[in-house]
Amino acid sequence: MFSIDQYAYSNRLKNIHPGEKVAFALVTLLIALVAPRPLIPAIIIALMAGATIGIAGIPARFYLQLFLVPFSFLVAGVAMIALTITSQPQASLKGVTLLGWTLGFTPAGMHLAGKIFLKSLGAAACLYFLSLTTPIVDILTVLRQLRVPALLVDLISLTYRFIFVLLATVNDIYTAQASRLGYASLRTSYHSLGQLAANLFIKTYRRSQELFTALTARGYHEELQVLEVAYPFSWPFLCLAAIFDLVLVILMLLT
Amino acid sequence: MAALLEAERVSFTYPDGTQALQHVTLSIPEGKKIAVLGPNGAGKSTLFLHFNGILRPQEGCIYFAGARINYSHKALTDLRQQVGIVFQDPDSMLFSASVRQEISFGPLNLGLSREEVGQRVEAAMAATGITGLQDKPTHFLSYGQKKRVAIASVLAMEPRLIIFDEPTAYLDPRSTRDVMALLEDISRQGKAIILSTHDVDIAYTWADYIYVLAGGQVIGAGTPAEIFSDATLLEAAGLARPWLLDVYEDLKNKGWLPATAPVPKNKDDLLGLIPYRSRSKLAI
Ligand SMILES: Nc1ncnc2c1ncn2[C@@H]1O[C@H](COP(=O)(O)OP(=O)(O)O)[C@@H](O)[C@H]1O
Ligand SMILES: [Mg+2]
Repeated sequence: MFSIDQYAYSNRLKNIHPGEKVAFALVTLLIALVAPRPLIPAIIIALMAGATIGIAGIPARFYLQLFLVPFSFLVAGVAMIALTITSQPQASLKGVTLLGWTLGFTPAGMHLAGKIFLKSLGAAACLYFLSLTTPIVDILTVLRQLRVPALLVDLISLTYRFIFVLLATVNDIYTAQASRLGYASLRTSYHSLGQLAANLFIKTYRRSQELFTALTARGYHEELQVLEVAYPFSWPFLCLAAIFDLVLVILMLLT
Repeated sequence: MAALLEAERVSFTYPDGTQALQHVTLSIPEGKKIAVLGPNGAGKSTLFLHFNGILRPQEGCIYFAGARINYSHKALTDLRQQVGIVFQDPDSMLFSASVRQEISFGPLNLGLSREEVGQRVEAAMAATGITGLQDKPTHFLSYGQKKRVAIASVLAMEPRLIIFDEPTAYLDPRSTRDVMALLEDISRQGKAIILSTHDVDIAYTWADYIYVLAGGQVIGAGTPAEIFSDATLLEAAGLARPWLLDVYEDLKNKGWLPATAPVPKNKDDLLGLIPYRSRSKLAI
């Protein structure tokens, strides 16, 4: 998660207008989901991977590791769809028969499983493209421009910022405990962990109070107004993205 | 000199019964450097929260620019533009993951135009030397860098008085020096500065005037020279003497400095006072 965040701030597509990246990722995602044939999501996976690794410059190794996460979930889930258990096997079912029940695959089941598998990976590829190339701060800018309620945007913004503060706090408390042998045995570990949680709660509460005070001191009233970074529109990116999505749609309609 | 901010017999007790301030009376002149010196728990932070209307005195009152503070929404917004506070912990001050957005927050709340806010953000970043950090997310900054962002976020509101609550706490010596230099720059622009600290060396060298706070009360006030020549006061406040004064006195007692040597204000002054030993003696 931290690496994703770090790449989002340092990739080569960082300075592309976030609206373009969001639109591109979401439109492509939509195409992946509605496409009736598995060919389209397969193309999307290949092109999104190409864009993320080749253009944005995310290391391929890291990208593949990221894909292992949805991949392992998907393999397990899709296997359940592909498998058929029945007591009246049709001719197309190939598998093992035990006590009158047959466990096996049908071509239709395989096809459906393959389609779901590719669609899901295609969707994941689109979202990974967005999260690896666009910092949360920029995505929030887009949300504000889309007139998403300020309360929601502020909440996401504060949550995002305080994930890091919270983790730093956990880290401090943990280090302080561990250096006094708080995690030397299983029994002390349980005890220390409980204390960590309680302490964290108190500290977090205090921090939220301090934050509110500090915001009030700078004239906070009801909305966290900030100056948005003005990214220029990038015509090359916009054209490429539009052509790509258009080709996909045509391909989808033709096949 | 006209007082910019005055506290008159201010008392404050927290809801849990902690009596944080008792009859605090002090006065902050325009454009001066004021140190509030006191140990932890003396009530420094509580006092500062009164200065921009976040806390209301339970007794006594606060005057800003000669007028008693009005706690209406409009008046408070005005007050908070004029009195900025840089809190001790930058992590609880920074709410945004973007340095630029963080700094733009205060000026935007003043209802300024976006262009004007943009200019102020640039100026504040330049003044604090963080222009190079503007594209970095705040969570990847070092503590000292976060501190600068916090200072910039207050500078961008262009207050007349800036309060620094323990600005050098947790900073390494180099960052401490940088922050103090930054304070010097800000002061040179004619802004009044209040700084709280328990570091007597910083208070002695930096301040024009010092208030000593202990147990929620002002137990001493005066120029650095007055404060640090009052042994009973230092004893009562649990404060040490600045090393500069100790060395100066020792040199004087042992005859290295003439009895008429002026009291040095900083290290360079002191070094300048110490005379060369004559060459002939050195050769022996
Ligand atoms: N929110 C609070 N609730 C209750 N007591 C507090 C609170 N904040 C500070 N105090 C108490 O008020 C006293 C003064 O605190 P503070 O103003 O933070 O001192 P300083 O900044 O000089 O260290 C301390 O005894 C402290 O424990
Ligand atoms: Mg304090």
